[in-house]
Amino acid sequence: MGILIEAEKLSKTFRVAQRRGGHLGGLLSVVAPEVRLVAAVRDLTLQVQAGEMIGLVGPNGAGKSTTIKMLTGILTPSGGHIRVAGLDPQRRRRDLAGRIGVVFGQRTQLWWDLPLIDSLQLLRHLYRVPADRHAANLARLSAMLDLEPFLRTPVRQLSLGQRMRGDLAAALLHDPQLLYLDEPTIGLDVVAKARIREFLLTLNAEQGVTVLLTTHDMDDVETLCPRLVIIDHGRKLYDGTTAAIRERFGTERTLVAVLDPAELARLPRDGVGHVVLPDLPAGVRLVSAEGPRLLLEFARDAIAGHEMVSWLGSRYRLHDVTFQEPQTEDVIRRIYEGGLLAPAAHHGG
Amino acid sequence: MIVPHTPAGSTALRFYVEVARTAYRRQLIYRWANIAGLCTNAFFAAIGSYVVVALFRVRASAGGYHLAETVQYIWLLQALTMPVLPFGWMDLMLTIRSGDVVSDLSKPCDFYWYWAGREIGRSLYFLAFRALPTYVLGMVLFGIGLPSQPDRWLLFVASAILAATLGIAYRFLYNIAAFWVVEARAVATMAHQIALFCTGMIIPVAFFPSWLRAITGWLPFNALMNLPAEFFLGKVPGSQVAFELSRQAVWVLALTLIARRVAAIAARRVVVQGG
Amino acid sequence: MNRALFSDLALYRRLIVLQMRAQLQYRANLLIDIATYLAVTGLEFVALLILFGSFPRLGDWTVGQVALLYGVSSFGFGLAEMIGAGIDGFNQTILRGEFDRLLVRPVGAFIQVVGSDFRLRRLGRITQGIAAIAVSLHLLPGIHWTIAQVLVLSAGIASTAAIFLSVLLLGATICFWTVETTELTNILTYGGCYMLSYPLSIYGRPLQRFFLFVVPLAFGGYAPVCYVLGRPLALGLPGQIALAAPAVAALFALVSAAFWRLGVRHYQSTGS
Repeated sequence: MGILIEAEKLSKTFRVAQRRGGHLGGLLSVVAPEVRLVAAVRDLTLQVQAGEMIGLVGPNGAGKSTTIKMLTGILTPSGGHIRVAGLDPQRRRRDLAGRIGVVFGQRTQLWWDLPLIDSLQLLRHLYRVPADRHAANLARLSAMLDLEPFLRTPVRQLSLGQRMRGDLAAALLHDPQLLYLDEPTIGLDVVAKARIREFLLTLNAEQGVTVLLTTHDMDDVETLCPRLVIIDHGRKLYDGTTAAIRERFGTERTLVAVLDPAELARLPRDGVGHVVLPDLPAGVRLVSAEGPRLLLEFARDAIAGHEMVSWLGSRYRLHDVTFQEPQTEDVIRRIYEGGLLAPAAHHGG
Repeated sequence: MIVPHTPAGSTALRFYVEVARTAYRRQLIYRWANIAGLCTNAFFAAIGSYVVVALFRVRASAGGYHLAETVQYIWLLQALTMPVLPFGWMDLMLTIRSGDVVSDLSKPCDFYWYWAGREIGRSLYFLAFRALPTYVLGMVLFGIGLPSQPDRWLLFVASAILAATLGIAYRFLYNIAAFWVVEARAVATMAHQIALFCTGMIIPVAFFPSWLRAITGWLPFNALMNLPAEFFLGKVPGSQVAFELSRQAVWVLALTLIARRVAAIAARRVVVQGG
Repeated sequence: MNRALFSDLALYRRLIVLQMRAQLQYRANLLIDIATYLAVTGLEFVALLILFGSFPRLGDWTVGQVALLYGVSSFGFGLAEMIGAGIDGFNQTILRGEFDRLLVRPVGAFIQVVGSDFRLRRLGRITQGIAAIAVSLHLLPGIHWTIAQVLVLSAGIASTAAIFLSVLLLGATICFWTVETTELTNILTYGGCYMLSYPLSIYGRPLQRFFLFVVPLAFGGYAPVCYVLGRPLALGLPGQIALAAPAVAALFALVSAAFWRLGVRHYQSTGS
């Protein structure tokens, strides 16, 4: 097992032509366009080992799709160096294409008017897969993804979930080493999402297929990706485990305590009428009080969860107590909005 | 498109005029598409001109036309194509296919006059920015001229206005057929080609065998393109002028009334069935 | 390199066969479509014949001679229409952002594009071309047909198809830069077919030079027909240039292919 993807100081700058206004502007735009430089990806360094499952996360326009396009050979980088499976994606596009599978969430790889099975058969010839291997893969994928009920249906008549499963099968028929998924669960219902996630986990665990997944769905990340790469404004902000990021930035936990209604009258209030809890331990603050429902935020390292509960319980009669863990989604949003992370300097990985 | 409330009387007229003006202004945006279209018109007119130049090398005149008039005819028909637009217009059909027409039909304005107003606006645009430049190109490239007699201009303008109005009714009708006919592609294609032939766009009507001319003379296609061109070139004898113009006007009236009737039926269907 | 080419061609064959099978499934519809297209293009040919009712000659070409030229042009163009439908529809591929998925496959992009649409119903125009040629043969009883002449004419038809396909490819390549000019390509294809259905000699010199030396469509129809009829060519060129038609078509195709590769590289450097 070695390094499958090696990208060093990858960058991509687009030249965007600005339309000039006015009557003559239209003509000028063709002859001497005003050009604006947009750096979509800057100095991105990434190393992926074979067998990993990675989530690529970032706001829209962050440069995720651009990065994937450079890795697959669709787009030529402006700077930097890439090797995927030991090949230069730009120079050996066709060779590399035989070793990777790509699923674009919004656009299908299948032929619209043909039944699914025809598309899958056609792909055998496209990827030059030997007949017996193809048949075995097809049987296996068909079982794992439950394709049998709609194998003979034209692709345009499939539901989104069915089409996505078809696309996954299509991407895997030729035993690729590496699978790119661009927003694979977008638009799917909860059940469909769960199935796809289960399939991907099995794929990675049993076949060792390396998976690089772009997504906005944090549940995808939580369920599937031990490793998370955050990209914003073309730069890599974070590259590490999902757990670590939650711990590092999800330092605050929330306790939801429902008091016995009789206790409410006893609670002191401030001048404006808001509930005040006297003598709160250091690092704990009352976020909100809706009737008997109190929301307390406390720093993870200020006080342990069970200590917080006993402190409360010793002073007030409690009806119910729950903890809210920081959502990765919230954490990431805070990172984008608060600029909590400086662009990662050149890391080992 | 925002439609104000039920217009009536003079406010109605102002409304439809506004519809026309908006359509005109919207068309101004598609500058490059228009230039591309202009090139197409000019190219086909030029090819046709070369062909007739070669044809007239052995005969001085045919069908009552000599070379200069035939070249004028060809450029004129290409020029008139967009303002009259008997073919290639699918806007209404597209709103029917997409279902948008249902909301249009429920609006408190006259459906036919709404579309007619819109098309009048576009016709005026195409008159200024396509028809005129096309004919001017013909004048520059092939030295065709303009009628000198004012009465010819008068008759031409009258006939052209009738032709444009007829074009609006005609295309409205074959578009609204989409309401009832889902897929009749073969028939539609064939009908289109026959219609194209009868307008004189494939070969000038003057060169049809006389029995064919007699038949096509009674079809609305003749009134769409060939007749205005004949007036332009002064090919209609004085005694026939009133007859030809009346026949054209009758077509305009007939198709407009039929179109309005069909629109009303469609509207009622929408109200009753909800599309 | 060769292996890639062979496998691409094998794939193309498979794509075409698949589409033909799918279209032949709805045989009635296909026949209606072919018949309609035959009728539509046939009406244009009939119009030509009507024209000759009023005029004995076009330039100094007789009706039979023009009909032969017309048929050859139609046949070649119809072939290009049938094979190149995928190229013709390329602006839609770009507009819908579907080109990316072609690039992640281990196959050349061009083969995928040209193999994406094969329109059997264009046989309508091909039939019209054949019919026009048949009519012309009937109107030209004086020609003694030799094998050489048949070969030259057939090569001409194939060359016409190849050149029209290359023009379609040029039009598709422009879509990498802008999708707003598709109508101009139509002038060159449909306009070109219309124009080259008539003898090149009736047009002005600049047009003659253009369709001989820039977009060499005249090599495909006009030159072979002149050769077969023993007629002098425009611009005083010798009849033997008709023999060069396949070479000229191949050269033009290479130019077109080079431009396509440039377009793909441009796409890869600037994104959609």
